[in-house]
Amino acid sequence: MMHCTMDDLLALKENEASAWAKQHFETCPACRAELEALYQRIAALKALPVHRPARDRWPAVRDALRVDQRRRRRRWGAWSLSAAAGIALLLLIRPGPGGRVDAAELERMKQQSATLEAELERYDPDARVTSGRTAALAAALEDRIAVIDGELAQVGTPPAPVRRAELMKLWQERVDAMQQLMTVHVTRAAYVGL
Amino acid sequence: MTISLAVPDILVARARAGDLEALEALYRAFETPVYNLALRMLRTPEDAEDVLQETFLEVVRSIKQYRGEGHLWGWIKRIAASKALMRIRRNQVRATEELDEESTGRQVAYAGPEHTRSGSVAGVPARIDLERAFEQLSETSRSVVWLHDVEGYTHEEIAELMGKTVSFSKSQLARAHARLRRMLDAEGAAR
Ligand SMILES: [Zn+2]
Repeated sequence: MMHCTMDDLLALKENEASAWAKQHFETCPACRAELEALYQRIAALKALPVHRPARDRWPAVRDALRVDQRRRRRRWGAWSLSAAAGIALLLLIRPGPGGRVDAAELERMKQQSATLEAELERYDPDARVTSGRTAALAAALEDRIAVIDGELAQVGTPPAPVRRAELMKLWQERVDAMQQLMTVHVTRAAYVGL
Repeated sequence: MTISLAVPDILVARARAGDLEALEALYRAFETPVYNLALRMLRTPEDAEDVLQETFLEVVRSIKQYRGEGHLWGWIKRIAASKALMRIRRNQVRATEELDEESTGRQVAYAGPEHTRSGSVAGVPARIDLERAFEQLSETSRSVVWLHDVEGYTHEEIAELMGKTVSFSKSQLARAHARLRRMLDAEGAAR
């Protein structure tokens, strides 16, 4: 007599067995016992003890993360520096109508941005934060600055059509975002009494 | 093993902002389930620990991309499973797995007297027997059995994780269960 194969039993369990298997299963005590044993094996697998790692791997993960963070911060600095250099170059090449005023205004904003960036450096991003909300806000602002830098770098590429207004807007946004980030850090610092 | 690890949203938010204390708290919450999953799929504690480390490296690096859809444990588990499978593929390059499996499989069939003392109850396999039998399966078979039967992954999900077909996953599962049944039978016969 032909019995259900393991494939048949698994299909029965998933309710997708062939007509033959279903019919045979109804009338064969041996196959019913087999399926019951299969269920028991699975239940026993689920009940196996939980093993714990013998060694702590967190220090290795943390060290790698710190290397990442340092590298990212360096890149961030280099990125905004190159954006600023690109804009300085543009101002040299294309002093548009009324360019002197715009150039001075841009220069002022760039200075402000650099000062803020230097100020922000004083706040160690690795230091603990007091609340998830503060941390999330700081992260969101940092992300926004990175996005603005990306746009600045694009606008600042010489072949791209330069819209001075757009450039001004981006630098203004960068300064705003940095000021907000500064506020977040200062508030936190005051709160924890630093 | 069923895990319903609930992590406070605030902890996830802090972790996403790169806060080291929050990230370590996540590591502490999930190190055991991740390690246990890797150990069930792989052969050695060393491999499982390496997968634990690789998994968390990816977790801390990409937690910003985790948008809170589904459970955090589901997200981490998927990373762990795919890291373990990657290691299995690497191990397979080094060893001809089937040969290995066959030779150790035979050892189990003849190893009866030593562990019939483990107190098996007739008909129901004692835990130690099943655990030992499970360890004799190839890493691929164990992964399919564990992911499907214990973690509740579908054959479609397993096929996607493994880069194989659904029928590969199904036939691996059937083969593995047939082997487990034979091995546990041999244990019973030696009793
Ligand atoms: Zn039958």
